[in-house]
Amino acid sequence: MRAPLDRSLAQAAVLFALLAVALVIFAVTAADVQAAPFGAPSSTAGAMSQPGVLAWIFAKQSEFYRSLSGVIRASKDDGTAMWGLLGISLLYGVFHAVGPGHGKAVISSYLVANAETWRRGVILSFVSAALQSVVAVLIVAVAALALGATAKAIGATVHVVEIVSYGLVILIGLRLFVVKGRSFLGACLARQGRPQALALSMPSPGRIGLFQRYDRGTAACGECAAGGGHSHGFRCHGDHDHDSAWGHAHGPEPAELAGTGGWRRGLSAVIAVGLRPCSGAIIVLIFALAQDLFWTGVGATFVMGLGTAMTVAAIATIAVMVRESASRLANAGSGPGLLMMRAIETGASVLVVVLGALLLAGYMASEQLWMFTG
Amino acid sequence: MTRIRSYLFAMLAWSAFPIAAAEAHPHVWVTLRTEILYAADGRVTGVRHAWTFDDMFSAYALQGTAHARKGQYTREELAPLAQINVESLKEYDYFTYARADGRKLKFVGPVDYWLEYRNPALVLHFTLPLQTPATPKAMQVEVYDPSIFVDFAFAKDEPVSLSGAPPQCGARIDLPHQPTAAEQARLSQLDVTPLDASSTYGEMFANKMLVTCP
Repeated sequence: MRAPLDRSLAQAAVLFALLAVALVIFAVTAADVQAAPFGAPSSTAGAMSQPGVLAWIFAKQSEFYRSLSGVIRASKDDGTAMWGLLGISLLYGVFHAVGPGHGKAVISSYLVANAETWRRGVILSFVSAALQSVVAVLIVAVAALALGATAKAIGATVHVVEIVSYGLVILIGLRLFVVKGRSFLGACLARQGRPQALALSMPSPGRIGLFQRYDRGTAACGECAAGGGHSHGFRCHGDHDHDSAWGHAHGPEPAELAGTGGWRRGLSAVIAVGLRPCSGAIIVLIFALAQDLFWTGVGATFVMGLGTAMTVAAIATIAVMVRESASRLANAGSGPGLLMMRAIETGASVLVVVLGALLLAGYMASEQLWMFTG
Repeated sequence: MTRIRSYLFAMLAWSAFPIAAAEAHPHVWVTLRTEILYAADGRVTGVRHAWTFDDMFSAYALQGTAHARKGQYTREELAPLAQINVESLKEYDYFTYARADGRKLKFVGPVDYWLEYRNPALVLHFTLPLQTPATPKAMQVEVYDPSIFVDFAFAKDEPVSLSGAPPQCGARIDLPHQPTAAEQARLSQLDVTPLDASSTYGEMFANKMLVTCP
C-alpha cells in the first residue's frame, strides 16, 4: 500500500515541478522585453539568433504586421484585397500571441489555480480577446475619431487602462490566493491526521456527482473542515459553491458554462486580461483611420483578436491538460495527492499576483509606444 | 504508466516551447541615416540623425496633429510633435551611443530638430552635439534600443556620411553580427535570467558606424 502511494506521489511531484517551470516560463515570457532580439526582424539579427521554427515564427510575425499597411491601402481600391487583409490579420494574431503577453500567462495560471476545464479556458480566451478588440476600437473611435486626440493623449489613455488592468490581475491573484491558500492549509492540517473529520461535511446529495469527479466525494471538504473546525466549516461549501465567483467546478455541464454563475466566475479574469488593448491594434486602427478606412481597421482588429484567441486557447488548453494529468497521477482524492494539488493551485495563484505586480511595476512590458510620442 | 508519463513530458515540452523564446513586439521601425559632423579644425562635434518611421507608426504619431491641407503637414505644423519626440527620447539617451578610441562620448541635448512629412512617412531630423568635441583615430557610433521596442535599421543607400571631415577619414557600417559563443550562451539564458533595463545586451543587435581618421 505504502510503496505505490509514494511512487505516484513522486510522479506527481515531478509533474508539479514541470508545471511550475512551465508557469514560470509563462511569467518570464510575459515579461520578456529582452529576448526581443529574436524579434529584430528587419536585419539578419532576427533570423540568426534563433534556431529554426522560432526564428521563423518571429520573423513571420513582423512580416505580417508590416505587410498590414500595404494591404489596408490596397483594400481601398481593390475589394479582393480585403480577403488578403483578413488573412494576414488572422495570421498576425496567431503569431503575435506566441510571443510574450500577460493574457496567456494570466489565463493559464488562473485556469490552473482554479482547476477550471479546458472548455472554460477556450471560452475565456476568446471572450477576453474579443473584449480586447472592443476596447481598442472604442479607444480609437472615441479618442481619435470623435475627439481628435493626439497620439500622446491616446498613449496616456492606454497607459491608464493598462494600470487598471494590471491592478485587476493582482486582485484576482490575491483573491485566488486566499481561497486556495485556505484549502491548502486545510489539506495540510488534515494530513497531520484528523481523518474522522471527513465525515463532517458530506456533500449534499445533489452535488455528489460533481465531487466524485476529482475529490472522490469527501476528501476536500473533510480536510477543509478538519483544518477550519466548525467556524470554517462553511468554507467547504464556499469553496465548491457554484454560485460564488470563485468556486471551482470540476467538470461543468455545458449548460452551466452559459449560466450566470458560470460566466460570472471567469468574468474578472476576462476583464483583467481583455481590458488592455494591443498596441498593434491601436496603431492599425489609427493608420486605417488616416486612410479613411476606419471600418476596415475595425475588421482587421477583430480578426487579429480571433487569431490571438486561437493561440491563447491552445496554450490554456495545454495548461489545463497538464494540471488534470498531474491531478490524476497524484491520485488527488487521497490525502497527499490532494495536498499536492492544493499546493499547485496555491502556487499558480501566487504566480498571478507576481505577474500582476511585475506588470504594474513596469518591470515587465512587451510593447511600448511612447518612446517618441510621450 | 511510463507511456503516460512520456506523453506528459512531451506535452509539457511542447507547451513550454513556444513561450520559452520570447520577444518584445516592436511596433516602431526606424530607417536610420546619420551624418558625423566635423568642425573646421577636424574635431568631431556631433552627429546628425535623420530617422524615417514606418508608415503605420507615422500615422499613429501624426494622429490629432492639426494641419491645413489633407495629406500634407508643414514643418511648422509638425513642430509641437518634434518637440515631444526629442523630449521623449531623452529618457532613452536618444538611442545613440558613441565611443572614441574606446572611451564613451557624452552628448548634450538635441539641437536643430524638426519633423518632415514625406507621404506616407515621418522623418525626424535632429543633431546631437558632443559635450566635448573629440579627435579620435577610431570612433564608433551605435544606434539601438536596448529593449528592442524600436527596430532600427540602416538606410540602404548612404546610411552614414561625414560632414566636413578631414580627407583621410572614412566611414563604414557594421551590420548586426552573428552572436559569439558567449553571447549565444547568454541568449539561451534569457528566459531564466532576463535582462534588466541597464543591460547592454541589445548592443549585439546594434547598428554600428565606424569612423576612422588615421
